[in-house]
Amino acid sequence: MSDRGVLSTFDWRKPRIRGTAAVVHAILLVLLFIAGLGPMLWLAKAAITPTQDTLRHPLALWPNGVDLANLATAWTRVQIDKYFLNTVWIAAGSWFAQVLVATTAGFALSVLRPRYRKALSGVVLATLFVPAVVLLVPLYLTVVDMSMVNTFWAVWLPAGANAFNILLVQRFFDNLPREVFEAARVDGAGPFRLFRSVVLPMSRPILGVVSVFAVIAAWKDFLWPMLVLPDPAVQPLSVRLPALQRFIELDVFLAALAISTVIPVALFLAFQRLFLNGGALSGAVKG
Amino acid sequence: MLPAAAPPPAAPARRRTRRSPVSWVRGGGLGTLVFLLPMLVVFGLFSWSPIVQAVVMSFQETNLVTAPTFVGLDNFRAVLDDPLLWTAVKNTLWFAVLALLLGYPVPLLAAVLMSEVRRFKGLYSALAYLPVVIPPVVAVLLWKFFYDASPTGVFNTVLGAVGIGPVPWLQDAGTAMVSLVIEATWAAAGGTIIIYLAALTSVPPELYEAAEIDGASVWGKVWHVTIPQLRGVLLITFILQIVGTAQVFLEPFLFTGGGPANATTTVLLLIYDYAFANSLGGDYGSATALSLMLAAVLAVLSAIYFRLTRSWSTS
Amino acid sequence: MRSSKSIAVLAVATATAAALAACSGGGGAESADGRTLVNVSLDPGLEQGAIDAFNTRVSQFEAANPTIDLVPREYKWDATTFTTQLAGGTLPDVFTVPFTDGRGLIERKQIADISGQVAELPYAKSFNEKVAQAGSAADGRMWAVPIAAHGQALHYNRTLFTQAGLDPDKPPTTWEEIRSAAKQISERTGQAGYAMMTSGNTGGWIATTMDYAFGGRTEKLDGDNAKSTVDTPEMVKALQTVRAMRWDDNSMGSNFLYEWGTINQDFAAGRIGMYVSGGGNYGSLVAQNAMKADDYGVTALPLSGGANAGVLGGGTLAAVSAKAPDKVKAAAVKWIDFYYLEKLTNQDAAVADAKSTADSGQAVGSPELPVFDKASFDQRLGWIQQYVNVPLKQMAPYTDKMFDQPLVPEPTRSTQQVYALLDPVVQSVLTDRNADVTALLNGAQTQAQALLDKK
Repeated sequence: MSDRGVLSTFDWRKPRIRGTAAVVHAILLVLLFIAGLGPMLWLAKAAITPTQDTLRHPLALWPNGVDLANLATAWTRVQIDKYFLNTVWIAAGSWFAQVLVATTAGFALSVLRPRYRKALSGVVLATLFVPAVVLLVPLYLTVVDMSMVNTFWAVWLPAGANAFNILLVQRFFDNLPREVFEAARVDGAGPFRLFRSVVLPMSRPILGVVSVFAVIAAWKDFLWPMLVLPDPAVQPLSVRLPALQRFIELDVFLAALAISTVIPVALFLAFQRLFLNGGALSGAVKG
Repeated sequence: MLPAAAPPPAAPARRRTRRSPVSWVRGGGLGTLVFLLPMLVVFGLFSWSPIVQAVVMSFQETNLVTAPTFVGLDNFRAVLDDPLLWTAVKNTLWFAVLALLLGYPVPLLAAVLMSEVRRFKGLYSALAYLPVVIPPVVAVLLWKFFYDASPTGVFNTVLGAVGIGPVPWLQDAGTAMVSLVIEATWAAAGGTIIIYLAALTSVPPELYEAAEIDGASVWGKVWHVTIPQLRGVLLITFILQIVGTAQVFLEPFLFTGGGPANATTTVLLLIYDYAFANSLGGDYGSATALSLMLAAVLAVLSAIYFRLTRSWSTS
Repeated sequence: MRSSKSIAVLAVATATAAALAACSGGGGAESADGRTLVNVSLDPGLEQGAIDAFNTRVSQFEAANPTIDLVPREYKWDATTFTTQLAGGTLPDVFTVPFTDGRGLIERKQIADISGQVAELPYAKSFNEKVAQAGSAADGRMWAVPIAAHGQALHYNRTLFTQAGLDPDKPPTTWEEIRSAAKQISERTGQAGYAMMTSGNTGGWIATTMDYAFGGRTEKLDGDNAKSTVDTPEMVKALQTVRAMRWDDNSMGSNFLYEWGTINQDFAAGRIGMYVSGGGNYGSLVAQNAMKADDYGVTALPLSGGANAGVLGGGTLAAVSAKAPDKVKAAAVKWIDFYYLEKLTNQDAAVADAKSTADSGQAVGSPELPVFDKASFDQRLGWIQQYVNVPLKQMAPYTDKMFDQPLVPEPTRSTQQVYALLDPVVQSVLTDRNADVTALLNGAQTQAQALLDKK
C-alpha cells in the first residue's frame, strides 16, 4: 500500500517536474474529455437537431432551432423500451445461467470432489482453448435443431457453457478453509445445505466477478443474438439498431442512439465505483 | 443425512474398494451428480457436442437442405483455393498489427500518466471508462456517421478547420481498416486503462526508491521499474488482444460489410459469409473448415508466444 | 431439507426448461381460441401511418375470415440474412422474395407447394407470362405468386436539379446527359450528382442494370449449360461510365458503400442528385424515409443504342414457408390473395386498399409494371384514381415511356451469387482510381463460371 507512484515526494517538490506534470495532466484531461465525453455530447446535440442541420453543419449548435419531437418519434418508432427490456432479459438470464452452472459445478468439483473430478475438470477446461468461432456454425445448427431460435433460451443456455467461470469459482472454492465444511458436515449438513448455507454466502466476492463478466458479455454480444433472434420482437437493442439504421431518417435514428446511450451511462454514473472496481478486478483476475 | 460420509481427504484410501450403486448413492454420489447436472447439460449440448460436430462437419458437404455427405478434405481445399481467404488473412493480420500499434501503447501511456494524478483522479478514470459503457453497436453506428467522407462529415469538418482532408475514412481501401482500428481502440482503451491502473498500484514503492538511490530519472524509473513490473499484465492483455483481433467481426460487419473491394473482409466475416450470407443455402462445411484452421493457427500462435515469453522471463 | 430440495429443483429446471422451450418454437400453430395462426410479413422501419394502414387490412381480413388469426412479423428480404432465416426456419409463414430467388427455392423445395390453392384463384391463368415464370416450377405449376413487377428507373431530386440550374422537367435521356447533369449538380450544390449502390449484392444488381442498358447480358443459356458473360465490352463500358463520373468529374459524392436502404435514406435527405433503382421505389421512400413529394422525380433509364439494350426488370414473389401445415398454407394463400393481389384484380378491394393507404398518409399510385395484362392494369388505375396522392406529373418522364422500353428479366442462374461477385468490382472502380476494370471483370467471370458449372 503506497501513496506514491513513479514520482517521489522529492520529485514533486521540484518545480520543473511539478510544472511538467501539471501541463501533462491538463492535456491528458482535455484529451480524455474530448475522447470520453465528446462523442456523447455531440450525440445529445444531434438527437434534437433536424436532419438537414446535422448533415450540413454537424458541429453547429442548432442553426435552425431544436427539434425535440425526434426523441418522441424515436421512442415510439424504434420502441426503445421494448428492446431495452429484451436486452435486460437476455443479460439477466445469461447471468443466471452462468452463476448457476459455475457455482454448482465449482461446488461439486471442489468441495464434493467426486472421483472423476480430474477428468471432468479437464474436459471442461479444454473448451477454454477452443475459440468461440469454432462453435459458431455447429452451435447455431444445434439451436435450430432444438427449435430454440427466437427464444431467449438460445442465448441463455449457451452462455452458461463458460469454462472460465467454472475455473474461477473452482479455484476460489479450493482456497476456502476446509475446516468450515467439515464442521458443517459434523453438524449434519448435507451437500445441499452445505452449498446454500455455507459455500454460497462465502462466495460473494467471486460471484461479483462472475456477474460483472456475465452482464458485460451479454450487453456487448451482437453476432450470436443476431443469428438466433431474427424476430425483432425478441431482439436486444444491439441487434435491432443496425437493422433500423437503414430504414429511418437520420435525426430520428440519432435520437434513438442517444436514448440507448443514456440508460447505460446513467447506470454507470450511479454505480461508478462498482464498474471501475469491477473492471480493475477483471484485470486482476485475468492477470 | 448419513454422518458416515467420509471427508474428501480420506477418499484416496477408498479409491480401490468397489462400491455398489447403493453405497454410491449413500456416499453422496447422487447429490454430486445433481450439482453437476446443470454443467453437464449445458456443456454437453452447447459446448462439447458442437465442438465434435464442427470437426465432423468440416469433412462434410452440408447445408441443411440436402443430406450431408462426406467429402474428405474438399472443404479445406475449397477454402484454401478461395482467393478471398488470403485477402481475409492479410486483412486480419493488418487489423491485428494496427490494433497493436495503436491499442497497446495508448492505454499504457494514459494509465502511467493517470496514476500520477493527485487531484480528481476519479474524474480521469470515469472519462476514460465512458466509451466502454456505450453499447458497442451504438458506438459503431455513431462513428459510422462521424466517418461520413463528405467534406461536411463530422471528422472532416473538424479536420477541415485545420486544413486537412477531406479524408475518405471508410470509403477507401487504404483508410478503411485504419478507421476501424481507431474506433475499436477508442471503444476498448478505457477497460485496459483501468486494468493497468490497478496493476500500477501494486508496484512496490521500494523499487522506485531503490531506483532513485541509483539516481534514475523519471523516465528511467518508468522504463526500468514500471514497465517490467507490469510485465505479467502486459502479457495477458497482449494475448487477449491477439485472440480478440483474430476474431474481429462487429466493426467490419457494421462499418463496411467487408468493403470497399474486400479491404476489410476479415477471417470471421468470411466464415460468416460462407455459412450465413449466401442466398443459395449456407456452406457450413467450408465455414467450419475455416474456423478449425483459424483455431489451429491461434493455438500455434499462443504456444509460440508462451515459449518465447518463458525463455525471455527466465533469462 | 426444504431448501436443498428447492435447489435440486432449480438445477433440474435448467434442463427441463430447455426441453419445454424446444416445444414452443416454430410457426404454424393454433392460437388459444382455436383459430389458425398465420405469421405475415410487415416491412421494417415503417412510419406509424404505414403500420396503421397494414393493421387496418389485417383486421379487415380477420373480420372476413374469423377462423384465421394473423400475426404481423417484421420481415424484408435481405441477401445477407435470408439464408439464415430459411435454414433456421424462422421466416414468417407468408414472406416475399425477389424474382431472382424463386426458381432456386422451388427446385430445392424450400418453400411450400401452394400450386393447388393458387390454381383455384380466379385470375390464376391471367398472369403475365414472363412474370408467372419467376414463381413457377419447371412444369409450370405456380409455387410462389408474383405480386409486383418493376423495371429499373432513374430517380432524381428535383430540388437539387433546380439548385444546379437544370430543368427538373427535362431529366437526362442519355448516359452522357446523366454524366453532365451529375457534374453540374455536384459542382453547384456540393451534393453527390449521381450515386450507386455497391453492397449486399446491390452493386452487382445495378452493374447488371447498366450492362443491360448498354446492350449486354451477364449470362448465356444453352440448354442446361450456362456461360457467364460478365466480362464483355458492354459491362466494361458501363463501369467506365461510372469510373469517369467518379474520377474524372468527381460527381459521385463520397459514399461508395451504399445498399438499398442507405441510398434511399440519403436520397430522401437530399444528398443525392440521381440514382438507379426499381421504378416503384417512391412508396418505400415515403413509408421509410419521409421523402418530400416536391423533391421527387423519376425518369426512364436511358438505353444506349443497340437493339439488345433493355431495362432490367424484376419483381417480388409471395411465398409460403415450407414448414407450414396444410391449414396454414390455405390461410396463407387467402392472405396473399387478399393483401397482395385482390387490390390488383377486384374493384372493391382496390378501392378499399387505396383508401386506407391514402388515409394513413402513405403513397398510392407509384409506378409499377403490370403483374397481369395491360388492360387489367389500366382498369385498376381507373378504380383508384381518386385516391392517387403521388406527384403523378413528376413521374411522367418515367410513366410515359415505361411501357415502350424493352424489359429484360434478370439473369436466372445463381443470380444473387453473381451479383455478390460484382459488388467488390464496383467498389474497386469507385474507390481505386487505378482499378483495372478488365482484370477485375475477368476474375469475376472465372468465379461466376465456377458457380454456374456447379449446378
